[in-house]
Amino acid sequence: MTRKGYMGKILMVDLSKGTIEEETLPDAIYEKYLGGMGLGAYILYNRIPKGADPLGPDNILGFLPGLLTGTGSLFTGRWMVVGKSPLTGTWGDANCGGTLSPEIKRCGYDGIFVKGISEKPVYLYIDDRVKELRDASEVWGMDAIETEEYLEKNAKKTGKKPKVACIGPAGEKVSLISGISTNKGRMAARSGLGAVMGSKRLKAIVLSGNKRIEAFNKEEMKKISKVCDFWAGIQPPFVTGPMTAFVGALMRILPTVLTQDGLLYKIMLKKWGTVAMNQMSPEMGDSPIKNWKGSSKDWGFRKSYSSNPDVFTKCETVKFHCYSCPVGCGGICTMEGKYTHTHKPEYETVLSLGGFCMNDDVNAIFYLNELLNRAGMDTVSAGHAVAFAIECYEEGVITKQDTDGLELTWGNSDAIVKLIEKMVKREGFGHVLADGVKQAVLRIGKGSEAFAVHAGGQEPAMHDSRNDPGFALHYSVEPTPGRHTLGSHLYYEMYQLWKVVKGIPKLPPLYFKGSKYNNSEKQAIIGAANSRYMTLVNATGACLFGAFIGAKRFRLFDWMNAATGWSLTPNQYMDLAGDIHTLKQAFNVKHGIEPKDMKISDRALGRPVQNEGANKGRTIEIEEMMSHYWEQFGWDQATGKPGQEAMDRISVGA
Amino acid sequence: MTYYITENCIGCTSCANLCPAGAISGEKKKRHTIDLEYCIECGTCGRICPKGAVEDSFGQVVKGEKRKFWKKPEFNHKKCSGCGICLDACPVGCITFGNPDPKSKTAYPELINLSGCISCGFCASDCPVDAIVLVLPAESESEAA
Repeated sequence: MTRKGYMGKILMVDLSKGTIEEETLPDAIYEKYLGGMGLGAYILYNRIPKGADPLGPDNILGFLPGLLTGTGSLFTGRWMVVGKSPLTGTWGDANCGGTLSPEIKRCGYDGIFVKGISEKPVYLYIDDRVKELRDASEVWGMDAIETEEYLEKNAKKTGKKPKVACIGPAGEKVSLISGISTNKGRMAARSGLGAVMGSKRLKAIVLSGNKRIEAFNKEEMKKISKVCDFWAGIQPPFVTGPMTAFVGALMRILPTVLTQDGLLYKIMLKKWGTVAMNQMSPEMGDSPIKNWKGSSKDWGFRKSYSSNPDVFTKCETVKFHCYSCPVGCGGICTMEGKYTHTHKPEYETVLSLGGFCMNDDVNAIFYLNELLNRAGMDTVSAGHAVAFAIECYEEGVITKQDTDGLELTWGNSDAIVKLIEKMVKREGFGHVLADGVKQAVLRIGKGSEAFAVHAGGQEPAMHDSRNDPGFALHYSVEPTPGRHTLGSHLYYEMYQLWKVVKGIPKLPPLYFKGSKYNNSEKQAIIGAANSRYMTLVNATGACLFGAFIGAKRFRLFDWMNAATGWSLTPNQYMDLAGDIHTLKQAFNVKHGIEPKDMKISDRALGRPVQNEGANKGRTIEIEEMMSHYWEQFGWDQATGKPGQEAMDRISVGA
Repeated sequence: MTYYITENCIGCTSCANLCPAGAISGEKKKRHTIDLEYCIECGTCGRICPKGAVEDSFGQVVKGEKRKFWKKPEFNHKKCSGCGICLDACPVGCITFGNPDPKSKTAYPELINLSGCISCGFCASDCPVDAIVLVLPAESESEAA
């Protein structure tokens, strides 16, 4: 048995042929690509043929735990699903917590990869002895939660309960904004990878392994985890929910801002979860309002009060911890109506279905959260599609005839609910929006692209790129465009990476807000460090929120060495991450993507500028920043394509 | 580096019945064998063996003991953060989250199936903050003393 943190094997499933084969990987692969997203990038870059149809048999969908998952580290229970994204045509990945991640390793694998297309619906069942494709006709058509309950009960009759990842009806109907669900409503939602699973007619994977996950130096792992646990446990009393709005307003008004210590955010996460930001974010200008057109003037305290953080903790019955998480930002909430309980809606969900559509009906948000979780559809992209449609309607581009009679005005919660019900079923006007805003523009036409905000087809999340140029940069330059979890100036503040990585900028404890906007080269250097660090986080199965508590408290590099027996420095790990990043960019170039076309829509860059609110008068000089960022990785400054030297560093030809 | 069944085995099948990985096979009343590919090194075979016929990877005979004297996990909620590592580590699914603490709403792990526990100690050894210790169940304590 290997004692290096990883299992040393992957599983390759071919749905067209009905074959399941194990492959042993040499240590050198792990030493270069680590695991998780890094390993996924290595396999997909080499094995998906050039120009493959994302919804065709050649696309490969991978499910990967992290290098550190199950090794005794904390905050490292996330799994990654990877594939060529049908939403953007680029490298696609989606990240999810819950309890599935260690189970992949307990079945003996560092990754399960699926290619081909099955003739009829199937699910993949794996335990210590059995690996087989089983008929899924009984669960095809069921929602994600019903599917999980059914398979938990019927796929394995004895012993430990199996873990399930599955698609809902949205994935079955190949909605390009569908995701993959686990733990009855947690979702690997982005990049449209649920559609890839649906196109393969793979309803679910069901895992039940018992293998031990080892670490090279278990005592050292525990030592580092205890430090992390100490910091994660610090929980002084904090302000009430609505008071967070005043903190946000203060941040909007003051010309300076304190470099944030992520411990503060951790305290808010443990108390409320991500909904802690529901009122603070719109106030400080972090949350786009009214399809990126509005501001805190449109979504003030009175409007946001209905979804203040305390509303969510009041109906929360129990905290939900992902595997190996000492914080537990998730929760299970009770609710009235058709569904009796739901996973606590996330901040992104609340704002994209709330302020973004000017909808202050929190009960509708609870209902839609559960509806979308069950359907297996991305709440962020769904909110974007709805807000886009509302603006089209308000501007007269579409009429009641197009919307099946729905009065699609800002904040009309009844119409929003009905529209999303149609989207998940792909009925009538719902079909127009069920593949995200880029496809909706193609279907509606008539100049509607003016209202569509996306990066290469991916709708960005509820973090305003005008408020933090880092978001603008990462939305535009990442091989996975339009994603908020890959970096920002704020994240860099919280990581405190300069305390462990040499040669990157140290931020002062206090700075003028304006200083973020006038030094694009420094922003690009910060952005490159963010991308590298996040690559490591995603390769190890770690959680962004864990990374937020700071690199000295969340000692990722030390955990990696203790788990594997390697002795690399943080800078060496950052270099490896840079190569993985190049590999993903090379994946995009191989598939004909022009990196400069992935730039986020003008409206999110302050073009035209806003006349009021926190981001008044701000424009992001994105082109200059993109160019400097590409330079950091040895990619061409004009095109963003990896140069020869960068390409030489990534090994090709497996 | 796993466990090994010696020729002292009488084929009573108790180890095969209890092995959580289904790694032991053999005919009744004949010597059993452990499949190294599936063995997870929990040592249950040795603990249950009435004949001392199981050796560990160092060649030491594993001491058998009556099942009621097997130690069970005890959870220290002051140290525990509810991260769920022990739930996943338990190969027999004996640990689950109990009712949440009314104030913090955090649910802590508890042993739901006392008789199903095989005393492998994986929960205790995997707990990153050493919040679990294996102790003799209260009802067996006096008898053991």
